Amino acid sequence: MGKRGAAVLFMNRKVTIRVLLLAGVLLAGIGLRVGAQSPSATGHVTLAVTNAKILPVDGPAIERGTLIVRDGKIVAVGDAASTKIPDGATVIDASGKIVMPGIVDSHSHIGDSGNITVSDGPDNNEGTNPIQPALRVIDAINPADPNIRSALSGGITTANILPGSGNVMGGQSAYVKLRGATIEEMLIPGSIGGMKMANGTNPKGYGSRGQAPMTRMEEAALARGIYEKAQQYKLHWDAYNKAVAAGDKTAKAPDPDPGLDAVVQILDGKRIVHNHTHRADDVMTVLRLSDEFHYRVVVHHGTESCLVANELARRHVGVSYTMIDSPGGKPETINVDMSCPARLEKAGVKVAFNTDDPITNSRLLLRSAALAIRGGMSEDAALKGLTIYPAEMLDLQSRLGSLTPGKDADFVVLSGPPFSVYTHVLQTWIEGQKVFDRSDPADLHYATGGFAVGERYPKLNVVAPAAGGAQ
Amino acid sequence: MDGSAQGGPGLVLIRNGKIEAVRSGANLTAPAGYQAIHGVFVTPGFIDTDTTTGISGAYNISADQDQDESTDPNTADVRVRDSLNPQDLLYRYVNSFGVTTLQVAPGQRNPIAGVAGIFKTVGPQSGIATVDQLALRAESAMVFNLGEVPKETYGATRKAPMTRMKTAEIIRHALLDAQQYHAKWEKWQKDGSDPAKQPTLETKSEILAEVVSGKLPAIFAAYRADDIDTAIRIGTEFHLKYAIASATEAYLTTDAIRKAGVPVLLGPVMQAPYTHETANVTYENAALVSQANIPMALMTGYEAYVPKSRVLVFEAAIAAANGLGLENALRAITISAAKLLGIDGRLGSLTAGKDADVVVFDGDPFEYTSHVQTVLVGGAVTYQRTP
Repeated sequence: MGKRGAAVLFMNRKVTIRVLLLAGVLLAGIGLRVGAQSPSATGHVTLAVTNAKILPVDGPAIERGTLIVRDGKIVAVGDAASTKIPDGATVIDASGKIVMPGIVDSHSHIGDSGNITVSDGPDNNEGTNPIQPALRVIDAINPADPNIRSALSGGITTANILPGSGNVMGGQSAYVKLRGATIEEMLIPGSIGGMKMANGTNPKGYGSRGQAPMTRMEEAALARGIYEKAQQYKLHWDAYNKAVAAGDKTAKAPDPDPGLDAVVQILDGKRIVHNHTHRADDVMTVLRLSDEFHYRVVVHHGTESCLVANELARRHVGVSYTMIDSPGGKPETINVDMSCPARLEKAGVKVAFNTDDPITNSRLLLRSAALAIRGGMSEDAALKGLTIYPAEMLDLQSRLGSLTPGKDADFVVLSGPPFSVYTHVLQTWIEGQKVFDRSDPADLHYATGGFAVGERYPKLNVVAPAAGGAQ
Repeated sequence: MDGSAQGGPGLVLIRNGKIEAVRSGANLTAPAGYQAIHGVFVTPGFIDTDTTTGISGAYNISADQDQDESTDPNTADVRVRDSLNPQDLLYRYVNSFGVTTLQVAPGQRNPIAGVAGIFKTVGPQSGIATVDQLALRAESAMVFNLGEVPKETYGATRKAPMTRMKTAEIIRHALLDAQQYHAKWEKWQKDGSDPAKQPTLETKSEILAEVVSGKLPAIFAAYRADDIDTAIRIGTEFHLKYAIASATEAYLTTDAIRKAGVPVLLGPVMQAPYTHETANVTYENAALVSQANIPMALMTGYEAYVPKSRVLVFEAAIAAANGLGLENALRAITISAAKLLGIDGRLGSLTAGKDADVVVFDGDPFEYTSHVQTVLVGGAVTYQRTP
């Protein structure tokens, strides 16, 4: 806990008192979280959430169910009457509440776009070169960004944090849990992240400076160029490795290139491309490239993706959809339509929802799925679009996305039905640890807003900043 | 709902564009000769008290952005009615979510930004309605902007204002000039209106004279609590009839607002806090301001990017679910809004004699999964859902 507080202070060395108050709040909040769970005599940490309506996602809703968690993993989910609560378990009676899996946000910029209270500006668009596969978003994420804590208040437990859309290939994304004082603690073990790509309007920003790309043609040409280069790079390394294996001591290793290494991972099917795209013709360009180079891709935002739903369905390409309240803001989003996710569902396309935070706020991802229901989507697809489908889009379905024994104990306790405006996220848990509790006043202000105000906020219980913190 | 009545089953009769009668009770049937529209929840048309929708177009390219004449910090003489495009996609879009009336206000960049107007979203007749046909009050208020945006706009090129001090000074200076101008003309009239001695006409002072004489209300856009205080300071000094718009931090300074007796138009809370002055935005602002007994309505303001416009009923829903409650949230976009804009004689409630601006829902109007079924403006269907 001290570590996280220290990180906050470090990030804000030349800070004002206001930010220091924030640090105090963070320390207080973390303090409340630690100690929520302690090992029993058996050496295991066991938790039982019982009497809740459970939406396990991998099966039908359980009207009155029990969820058993041991050492951060789910060990049992079932009817409350027949699911035995182990001796020594910490029991949480969630009568009248609803429990669902932790929400997986398949497209976010929390921590790299910068909450205005802690940031000197966004760090997600390196607008100096349109092809930058060597960039890693982990080098831009600030784990102390309060937007991360806000996201917990919206029930998000996992996020795909991506570089921005100003580049054709903008860098490597990171699959993270929303906990930890360092990016290393946040990263999901074993995951390598995805690759951010973008087409359409945004990368054409270079054109206004007389640089490439100035047109969609050039965007696609640049993308093809890097994949061809990576194919050749792979060929050279394969030849070298083969020669070494054959005992050739004179074989010369190709020059290493960390960017091309990441692109080779795409070509090898290990790294998924997350492609920002809006217009239907741009979606088709995404598909044309992935067809040509045989890589796995997810269509992100996908404003007009429903117009080419059959093309997506037959390739089994999913859409990570951003639900926007009104059309426009730029010409390529002029056809924003709340019914688009429903039309994708009907065509057999898997739809996940994303926040694209800060474009929509991480506290409101349940709302995005609910608006898709308003647009005609089924409740089942909307729930899966917050959980198992985005987990699949990040290759994390074996450990996330449903309340299935063996998976991570990431779950959310809701006050009511998941798609009602009147429902609040009451608690958020990651791997058996409570990371958000609405009944804690400090946490509440991350749910409602106004967390940076300090003692002026009428309901905020301010904890004095740590001694010596005011340099 | 009207100004006082609780909701319940009922019937709204509409004739010739006006509400003819409102009857409560279950199992009512429409009298002969009336076309029947059935719904689960019927509300008055929603009133957005301050927005750039209609002058800040959907495409967000220079061709359709007409909200900010940021060539001079004082553009008191510009009028929204000369920018408004009722054919803009967003103008029609918000109508499909029940917004039937908007006060369209100039953008955020100028300390003295120009004259707002109050318009219906769609004309009662088929075909294209002109701006003046849509107007309830084509010149409804003078808009002043405080805080971060004006100083960022001009300060970046070392033009005034580059500080909040200067923004306030520009406004005070112009209002003092307008007072003198007003006095000069009054004296000229008192002295016999000799055409040879007529004072020089100043278009900016001419309209600001209407503000200092209390004929034209003022709106001060202010986000931070100290900027709200600046608005109160200026409003009090010049005895203005005014409201505070956006008011992100109103919840922190409710005592000062209540003491000044000034109403607030609360800005959207789902907007991303891209500016420092909106960093403390809270979903509970409307509830806390309402609990402090400050007259209050909601507004959608200006959106710079995606989404290009906020949807009033969506913002009210967040307020409803975060302490304000359904009925008060409904008031904040209907009758309270109408009262604050001075149009409650015609709009804001389902009351006999008022304009038949009506929204029909298939459920709770604030639920995410409810649908707007039908929107009527002046008794004419302007939106009909096709499931």
